[in-house]
Amino acid sequence: MKDLYTMKESNLKMKDQLREESPFPWIQYVTSCYQCQKCTSGCTSMKHLELKPHEVVKLVNMGLIDELLESETIWTCTECLKCWERCPQGAAPVNLILSLRNLAVKGKAKLPENLLKTVSSLIEIGLIQREQRVPLKNLETVDREKLNLPKLVYPSEEFKGILLSMLEEVF
Amino acid sequence: MMLNMKVAVYWGCKISTSQYSYELSLREVARKLGVELVDIEGASCCGDPIKGLTDLAATYLSARNMALAGVKGSKNLLVPCNRCHLQLSLAKEKMKREGIYSKVNSLLRRENLLFNEKLRLWHPVDFLHGYIGLDKIGSMVKRNLKGVRVAVHPGCGLIRPSKIGRVDESENPKKVDEILKVIGVETIDYPGKLDCCGAMLMYLNRDAALTLAGEKLKAVQDLEVDCLVDTCPNCHEMLDFNQSSASELTGEKISLPVVYLTQLIGFALGIEEGKLGFQLNRSPTEKLLKINFKRVLDGKVKG
Repeated sequence: MKDLYTMKESNLKMKDQLREESPFPWIQYVTSCYQCQKCTSGCTSMKHLELKPHEVVKLVNMGLIDELLESETIWTCTECLKCWERCPQGAAPVNLILSLRNLAVKGKAKLPENLLKTVSSLIEIGLIQREQRVPLKNLETVDREKLNLPKLVYPSEEFKGILLSMLEEVF
Repeated sequence: MMLNMKVAVYWGCKISTSQYSYELSLREVARKLGVELVDIEGASCCGDPIKGLTDLAATYLSARNMALAGVKGSKNLLVPCNRCHLQLSLAKEKMKREGIYSKVNSLLRRENLLFNEKLRLWHPVDFLHGYIGLDKIGSMVKRNLKGVRVAVHPGCGLIRPSKIGRVDESENPKKVDEILKVIGVETIDYPGKLDCCGAMLMYLNRDAALTLAGEKLKAVQDLEVDCLVDTCPNCHEMLDFNQSSASELTGEKISLPVVYLTQLIGFALGIEEGKLGFQLNRSPTEKLLKINFKRVLDGKVKG
């Protein structure tokens, strides 16, 4: 089977692999999807970004996975989890989208910039961002110390090493 | 009577590095209710932002934070962030699979840690509602806010997906409403209550994320409530900290006080506003405190 718009070939083996190897066990029912579109009708991202979760599921079931991995579609989900909650078949499109992202990263996909910033902070200090000074109403800025909050104890070097090696495996 | 109990708390990144008003107000409310919060030292990110990149690493991060709670000997872990609470709950489910369990645990062992599947996770919402109890909170109210009308934003992670067990019901969450009722606050139901604030989209598409937040804020503002109440630092960042950006982007004039549930509870328990971090909210909370609450409290004194 071939997508006549993009001339991409269907790869059903890849679909089985995706289902079996996904770290999200909830995607096993993805083949039960009967395209009722309940996911898309409630999708938060549909409003602005035209993410159609039922199409993602259909493409996966047709084995047109390469197409999805290269498209921006899988990077527009806001993870509101409504599709998971409301899917009558338990297909949970959000988990499928996250699985596809995992696969795209392994395939060296280009990542959104803010996500990369988050990852570099994570590698450096173990948190997604540094301690911020925050403004008061009079524009004076304060930090944890000024607010009498306890000093943060950051994760160990041992931990950062483990995390770095895990991330290096995929990047 | 003081309950005097110890509970480990995992703050997560957002609260401990920028959303200080949540940390301040939760610490104060806990102290007032006789709960001693024990911080987990050396905790890291919960893994939620990177589960789309490599879920194994995300699960490892969650499992490690839960293992650290075990080091402190705690059977209960309070997780005030909706996304962290969701991610930790998901990780608990994933760790039931042998393949993942053995991989993650072998990494944990390198720091002499062990995953503790019996750890019970709490969010301030079910902690106040179920662990402390509504009667106990009701008996300690110093400033009854009868006459204050608010809208509640439960946030996605608190209520979905019900399949793995969440803090509140997915389609009709009412725990936050019930807690607020105890301090006299009236909550109203509205069509967009279950809608997302767009926070996770900030990593991917900032404009779309802020538009979602703006639309939610405008819808709530039109209800003419005194304020919007949330329970998650990610939601709060979108609805409070980024309110002016959302307002600009959507072209709507938005000026809506947004407060944490714990700030409101703390206020009702008689804790001074400064200690609850009201000065850190970017949304117009001074209007809320000086006009709306004062109106209610003054009216009460006279009546």
